[in-house]
Amino acid sequence: MAEKHKAAPMVDEISDFEVLEIAVRELAIEKGLFTAEDHQQWSEYMETVGPLPAARLVAKAWLDPEYKKLAVTDGVKASLEVGIDWIHDMPSHFGTPSDYCNLRVVADTPKLKHVVVCTLCSCYPRPILGQSPEWYRTPNYRRRIVRWPRQVLSEFGLVVPEDVEIRVEDSNQKSRFIVLPVRPEGTEGWTEDQLAEIVTRDCLIGVAVPKPGKTNVDKRPVHPAINPVGH
Amino acid sequence: MIDINPDKLELDKEMDARGLDASPISLLEKIKREGRVWDDLSEQYGVDNPDPPWRIALECTCDALANGYMSPFNICKPVEEREPVNDKKIDAVERRWEEDKLVDEHYAEVPFPERQLLALAHSMIRRGLINEDELAEQMRVVDKRLHMADKD
Amino acid sequence: MSKTHYDREHHIKKATNVGDPQCFRGEAGPAKFKVGDRVRVKDLPSLFYSRTMFYTRGAECTVAELVYESPPAEDEAWDNCENPEWFYSVIFKQKDLWPEYPDAYANDTLETELSERWLELV
Repeated sequence: MAEKHKAAPMVDEISDFEVLEIAVRELAIEKGLFTAEDHQQWSEYMETVGPLPAARLVAKAWLDPEYKKLAVTDGVKASLEVGIDWIHDMPSHFGTPSDYCNLRVVADTPKLKHVVVCTLCSCYPRPILGQSPEWYRTPNYRRRIVRWPRQVLSEFGLVVPEDVEIRVEDSNQKSRFIVLPVRPEGTEGWTEDQLAEIVTRDCLIGVAVPKPGKTNVDKRPVHPAINPVGH
Repeated sequence: MIDINPDKLELDKEMDARGLDASPISLLEKIKREGRVWDDLSEQYGVDNPDPPWRIALECTCDALANGYMSPFNICKPVEEREPVNDKKIDAVERRWEEDKLVDEHYAEVPFPERQLLALAHSMIRRGLINEDELAEQMRVVDKRLHMADKD
Repeated sequence: MSKTHYDREHHIKKATNVGDPQCFRGEAGPAKFKVGDRVRVKDLPSLFYSRTMFYTRGAECTVAELVYESPPAEDEAWDNCENPEWFYSVIFKQKDLWPEYPDAYANDTLETELSERWLELV
């Protein structure tokens, strides 16, 4: 086992091209050609494949207070109800160093917003959330979110009000984390399927919040910019 | 989906008539000379991902500038059905046309996707969406921010 | 090596169909800290391997949960599973980690997990 503990290699250097990409994008946003939120949605769309079991877990928790209690106290057991067996589904039947079997579901409240990172490498709850997005693995995200979380979240288009506590979850040992966001307004009377659709990957990492009309299954997200191109 | 019939496009004629200013841009020339491309970085650090981590973000910027995937082919429509030509929009087909031209003239030595990024910045500057000085300044700001964690 | 028959698969056998860290349940003995305790992260030397982030060293925090028992990363990296410890989820005020963190956001926090050897009562 010990040799598998070695962190995966990464490029620990910021190139001029990486800087140029961010600068071009931020200038376009600053000039209102599109919004940071538009961009976040495009990126999520491109990197997400299929519906997420974790989205269903959240939808069930929104509908059933008893299930929510189970989710926040025993994430592994709660996962069984959305078809994910952390212990037996693994090819190894016990987890691997990057997929240990302790899922923690951290619940947002109107006054508390969680966001997940792994500063030491890129630990991610893969059994229930799939592969991590590119940006989650970059030193840029990993180094900055722990220290300047509000700034980084605003780059994703998420501005957290001053009176809401931000709690960064630094996933450094054997727990893996997903965020259980607050159920948004405008979803009264919705079914579990409808609710699961708006719980996108980025909502589960904590860099976005669910909104009616903003789903994983949209063909292509197009949202109005402040000063849209071509008008 | 729009039916694209290349025989009716006369794309080259139209784009040539618009007269893209393909002269070099010194900021981008400098990045071309000094920037380290992913092929080199990934080899040095032993990373096997074929794409740099910013690749998808770049694709998303292109898509967002084209106003969405379903309407990027303005120039492919019959003239009477098009949105008015507007230099503030970068239609996907136009951008690719300009990318081919700019790569041919300036960035042929640069691998993909670095060349796509240089060409996009070039197109945006020539179309007046951003200017060279403010891009240089924004790069300084970003560079400083990405290195904020280094000082201690 | 003193062990002539070193079982390279001992960890796998133990964890299969049980889970890791679940397979170490009950092995750490009584926990030293309880939920609500104020603790400080020790600044121990980390030779070879550690998963205690440098930015947490020396900072005070509050125990939020006793999460599981496991060999600490410093041992497990060398395949030593003989001394499992309690792991604690601890919460820091951001202000206690980063002195320049803005006062306007004094409520912001950071949560992470540390093993017992890294913590001491304040």
